[in-house]
Formats: sequence, C-alpha cells, structure tokens
Amino acid sequence: MKIKAYDERNKKNIELEVDSIKEAAKELKINLEEVIVVKNNELVTESAELKDNDEIKFLSVISGG
Amino acid sequence: MTCKKCLTKPVIKLPNNNISLCKKCYLRYFEKKVRKTIRIYKLFKKGDTVGVALSGGKDSMATLQLLHSLTQQQRTTKIIAIAIDEGIKGYRDETLKFAKKFCKENKIPLKITSYKKEFGMTLDQILKKLDIHPCSVCGVFRRYLLNKEAKRNKLTILATGHNLDDEAQTILMNQFRNNMAAASRLGPLTGIKDDKKFIRRIKPLYFLTEKEIMTYAFLNNLVTPFNECPYAEDSFRSRVRESLNNLDKEYPSTKSSIINSFLDILPILKEHYKTGDINYCKECGEPTSKEKCQACEYSELIRK
Ligand code: SF4
Ligand SMILES: [Zn+2]
Ligand SMILES: [Zn+2]
Repeated sequence: MKIKAYDERNKKNIELEVDSIKEAAKELKINLEEVIVVKNNELVTESAELKDNDEIKFLSVISGG
Repeated sequence: MTCKKCLTKPVIKLPNNNISLCKKCYLRYFEKKVRKTIRIYKLFKKGDTVGVALSGGKDSMATLQLLHSLTQQQRTTKIIAIAIDEGIKGYRDETLKFAKKFCKENKIPLKITSYKKEFGMTLDQILKKLDIHPCSVCGVFRRYLLNKEAKRNKLTILATGHNLDDEAQTILMNQFRNNMAAASRLGPLTGIKDDKKFIRRIKPLYFLTEKEIMTYAFLNNLVTPFNECPYAEDSFRSRVRESLNNLDKEYPSTKSSIINSFLDILPILKEHYKTGDINYCKECGEPTSKEKCQACEYSELIRK
C-alpha cells in the first residue's frame, strides 16, 4: 500500500510503501508507545487497516518541557 | 467493557491488557481511573479550593478539563487555574494562548503571573544575562511562584499534570543518582499536612500513561501542535524515557510495575527520610532548607 505519513516530532512528511501501521512506524523508527496514530483525521489503533492513499499522522505524546 | 463500537471503531489499545476501546468507552475508562485515584489517595475533599498548574500542554489541560467536569455538578469544590509565564518566546506564549482560550470558554478563573512581573526579567532575558543552566533557574522560579500564587489565591491544594511516565522516570533517575531522599518526596500526594507555608501537591493523572493522556486530550480537542521548549535538554530524562518505552514494548507493564512497587515502599521511605523542622527564607518567608531560598539567591544574581 502506498500511504502518506507524517512524523510530527521530526516534522517529516514522507510517502511509504507499507502493509501496516506497525510497519510504517518501524520504517520511521517510531516507538508506538510514544505516539498516537491519526488515520485520515481519525484516531485509530496500531492495528487499523491501511489502503492506498491513506494519510497517517504520528502525533508525539511527549511533552516538551 | 467492550461494546460493538469497541470492535469496529477502537481509538486505543490499552497498554496493560489486550482490550481496545472506542471513544465513548475510553473516556469513561479514563475518568473512572482518575476518580479512583482521587478517592483512594484522598487527593481533595469537599470545600477545597483546588488550583491547577496550567501550562497549556496536554497533561495540564487534561487535568483541568477533568477536575472541572468532575466538580462542576457539586458547587463545594472550587477550581482555579494558575499559569506561570516564564517568558519564552515562540513557546510559552503559544501554549498560554490556548490555555487562556480554554479557560474563557469554560468559565474557569485563570490567574497568570510571570517571571517578568515577579523577578523583573523574562527567562529569555535572564539567560542572556547569566550563564546558567536554563532548567535550574526556571524550575526554581516556577516552584516559588506556584507556591506564592497558591497562597495569594487561598488555594488549599495544587494539582499538576504529572503522569505515570514522568513518575516512573523520576523514580529511576533518583535511584540511578542514589538520591532516595528525593524519591521519598514523590507519590500522588506530596507535601506536609497543615503546613501553612507550603501548599500540598496532587497528581490526579498519576496512573495514566502519556499515551493515554494524549488520547484523552485528542478526543477532547485539547491538543496543540507539537512544540518544544527551546531550552529543553534534560538528556538524562530523555534517555530514561526512551529505555523505559523500549522495555515496555517488549515487557508490557514495566512502567506501571515500577510505580506500583514504588508505592509499596513509599510509606517506609517517607518515614525514613522524615524532615525535621522546615526553615523559612529570611528574605521572602518561603520554605527552604537553607537560610535563604534558591529563588532569592537567583533573583539577587539577576539584579546585580
Ligand atoms: S524545559 Fe527547562 S527552561 Fe524550558 S520550560 Fe521546562 S524547565 Fe523551563
Ligand atoms: Zn465501546
Ligand atoms: Zn526567599
């Protein structure tokens, strides 16, 4: 699946070819404990299924000071 | 606990078991957990005036939203938000804007005080003048002002947004640094009962992880874009956080086990490190272990 991913902490937009959210997180070296996952503007769990053109945002849960 | 929607539209998989929850069930779970913490540790009681230290970040916003909604029905507990403006351009001004808007919309009284007003300079200015570690002076001033504001507004208790991750990290950091005296001052409820000079602190989100709080904040529209203090550089804490989250991924419940085993021995620690009489600063009267408190030391340096 071709998806658009956004890594909020590193302000990085990237297109990925992956089968699952877990795989996308792995690719971006993101620990899923440290983010929430927003798929097409809706909050989902890491087991949510992907389809082509999905937009996945990894929002950091770490507070900044 | 699982409804049909939990199966089709889960928003979170709970960290310590395999249950996934939908929005409605999750919000209920979250509130229940906070209510239980408040009840078991007797964090506050009817008639209290509860202050919430508000930074505009997700933890303090979630704390305020929750305490506000839990106490709205009964008119006996008063909630007041207290914000400290350190004067950090591009950071605190942004988060405070959000905090102000929230308080206005929810009719929650908000008291803001600043380093500029109280010490004559913003943190940005202080750091230009003095070559010191940002978080040391910032932390000392914040603690000092929170206590002062608490007294000024006649608060009986002060709530902060500290969560399970913060606490697990601090517990380990104190062990790594061989500072169990500092560890003895942790827990969901800290401070000394009936001390007129120092207000007790409570942590209603004590048993919730950062991820759980972020989920709650997101579902309640309390999330601002990720924004980091430009001076943040607590690299030791970041390392501990990273290690803990990696461990937790492989061995679920690591973080909550740290908290729970710590709470088991905390009464013994508190007994062991019981502080004798507290001194009060000869300049400002705030509690301190020395003759003059650290806030007064720093503010003298600034004025020089
Ligand atoms: S990271 Fe340090 S300097 Fe920045 S707000 Fe927190 S304590 Fe202050
Ligand atoms: Zn449900
Ligand atoms: Zn003083």
